[in-house]
Amino acid sequence: MKKVGIVGAGITECRGRWVEATYWDLFQQATRRACEDANMTVDEFDSVVYGIYNDIFEHQAIPESSLTGLIGMANKPGTRVTSGGATGFYAMRTAYMEVASGTSDVVLCVGGEKATDCFDPRSKTATPMVIDTIAKSWDPFYEYPLGATASDSYMQMCMGYDDTYPGDIGDSDVRARIIEILCHSGNRNPYAQRRDESVTVEQVKASRWIIAPFLRLLEACMYTEGAGAIIFAGEDKAREIAERTGQPPIWIRGIGAANESYSPGRGGNYKPLNRIASDRIAAERAYAAAGVKPSDIKIIEAHDAFVAQLMITMGELGFVPIGETRRLIDDGIMLDPKDLADDEAPGDGKLLINPSGGLIFGGHFVGGSNMFSTWSCRREMINRQVPLGLVHGTGAINACFGGVMVLELDEGGAR
Amino acid sequence: MKTTEGQPVLPPEFNLPRAVTEIEGRDGETYLEFTTHMVTFYRQTYGEHSRFFMALRDGRLIGAHCSRCQQVMVPAATWRCPNCDFAEMTEIELPHRGVLAQTAPITIFPSASFLGEAPFARGYVDVATEAPIASFLPSRLRTTTGLERPGIFVKGVELKLVFEDQREGSIRDIFWVPLAEVPEELRDKEPLLASELDFSTPEPPEVLRDAAKADALGEAIAAMRRLADQVARSRRAQADLAGRQHVVGVTTGGGDFTISVGDSKLAIAEGITSGCEYTLVVDDPAVFTRWVRDGSLTDAAVEGTLWLPHREAFQLLPILDRLPRSTRRDLGDAVG
Repeated sequence: MKKVGIVGAGITECRGRWVEATYWDLFQQATRRACEDANMTVDEFDSVVYGIYNDIFEHQAIPESSLTGLIGMANKPGTRVTSGGATGFYAMRTAYMEVASGTSDVVLCVGGEKATDCFDPRSKTATPMVIDTIAKSWDPFYEYPLGATASDSYMQMCMGYDDTYPGDIGDSDVRARIIEILCHSGNRNPYAQRRDESVTVEQVKASRWIIAPFLRLLEACMYTEGAGAIIFAGEDKAREIAERTGQPPIWIRGIGAANESYSPGRGGNYKPLNRIASDRIAAERAYAAAGVKPSDIKIIEAHDAFVAQLMITMGELGFVPIGETRRLIDDGIMLDPKDLADDEAPGDGKLLINPSGGLIFGGHFVGGSNMFSTWSCRREMINRQVPLGLVHGTGAINACFGGVMVLELDEGGAR
Repeated sequence: MKTTEGQPVLPPEFNLPRAVTEIEGRDGETYLEFTTHMVTFYRQTYGEHSRFFMALRDGRLIGAHCSRCQQVMVPAATWRCPNCDFAEMTEIELPHRGVLAQTAPITIFPSASFLGEAPFARGYVDVATEAPIASFLPSRLRTTTGLERPGIFVKGVELKLVFEDQREGSIRDIFWVPLAEVPEELRDKEPLLASELDFSTPEPPEVLRDAAKADALGEAIAAMRRLADQVARSRRAQADLAGRQHVVGVTTGGGDFTISVGDSKLAIAEGITSGCEYTLVVDDPAVFTRWVRDGSLTDAAVEGTLWLPHREAFQLLPILDRLPRSTRRDLGDAVG
């Protein structure tokens, strides 16, 4: 396997809706910015991997076909990846494998979503139709006809966790404090959808219930339109590009993934309802591949679809004990970016979690959200000179799909 | 051959007039958007699942059993065991009782296809409890005690399987109720039909009356009457209530009152007046004081502190919740 590095990244502004652009333009914007960042032209890319979650959102089957020429990838190999909420992660894993195998030397990985063109004729708003489009991720025989939605699916799993580990994610004060910190992070991200918001603990706790007692309106991620692009390159090419840009390569030190069974159940290979086993297994694989342990990592960009799920994920990734994830706040492990200079590394026992604002404040354009996380993780690692970072993705019904990527700042580390 | 015919799969209101309209971008420029659709109709086969749904039509619950690993799969998602080199599985009859595998979420903001049906509960039921390995059945959960609310569908609660009287071959042909809500003489009946249980006249919860709550009721009524006065002067609030006609009783631990909505007005009367469509129950009347101060009756219902007899009652709450905000926007902060 060849060593693979990230040499460029570009994202669009995250917006609730882009009436000014279709997904064609959003993907082109992200590609263009990644090229600028890496000081490259599209001619230097050997192939492309697209992350696009849901044909219904784009309103085109094979949506990547219309993008090929527009992003300069005509007559090159292109693979579209779709894996629910973890689409971005799996697209990057595919791009990584393509370079690691030697099949390509430079791969563009670009993902995005045009989510809120959907429209519900009855309520005359987008949201119920957006929820319905995501609900089509459930099977048509057993789950969709019961009215399953993304929110209640993830909350079901959070409730299962709370049944087993009471007093952890169930404390609304702890969850609200995490939200407040994520808000401060979002304020620092010039591309974040909610960068101008100021959300306090009190406002979180006063916001409407979506699903009692674990999900208030201000504890959920957003629907976002946008795109993100990451450029993966083999070692020699990565070093050559780093010379051009003055930015160090970020190496993929280890990558791990796991998809649990669709069906929950007891024993065997069924999905347990009280844990996110996919996150745990993916993390174990990524750590083993990287030869690192969680305590070596200081910057994390985790897929926070919902804040209660983020807490469980942080436990499954090994940063806090399962059943005691509230220690993120109780023990002051989760840093408030207000308490850290922009070029300062987190100190001992401290973690910078979702400095982008995460999916809750930054944005969640499903097919490219994990690229957005990777863009942020790389930025923070370089600016703060932190040697190791982690990007996480989750997706599908009951958080069945999980992926973890351990990133390493080049030893040179110079900007 | 049994067939069923029903409503169109796509309700007529799921449609939009053909139009291209202008919309202003953040940059101040004009853009166009067009109405369109991405609807596909299906005659989708149940294929290997057909046996499961035919059994439901017959009032039976079946699963797939593997004689090698002894697992039971319900629903029978496959008839070949994925754990045992795809060994053939056999059909087994399952009991009409189960246990809730984990505390169930209650959906309040449903997807477009389920608008108007909230709140509803769904969860996973452990049916093959004797089997060493078993899948859980995704299930509708219903209560005979009013609306689905927290505290009823908690992990480990014993459940009874209920069949709709009219079945078509759908997962919605069945649902589960807490066994404790099923009269003893019906607990072993298989299949138990929905019409044999009483969902229409739920028993309201008891409230404990005391003097402190009576004082709280006085405060709540005064606050609500101030809100009613504000509604009479707020165009937004009147628009919220336009076309609505309701007389709703409320029983509290401090006494009773009645909320009337009509002619775009809100009125509060002490006691339960005649002609009430239904009665809400809340132990602490301060829930209504908090509502006037920008709290939420919907949240109180979702938390289970405000008891509602049926789903129609729930649909009124978001409209009432808008009133304090609408009056404040029109009249300033004098409300409450």
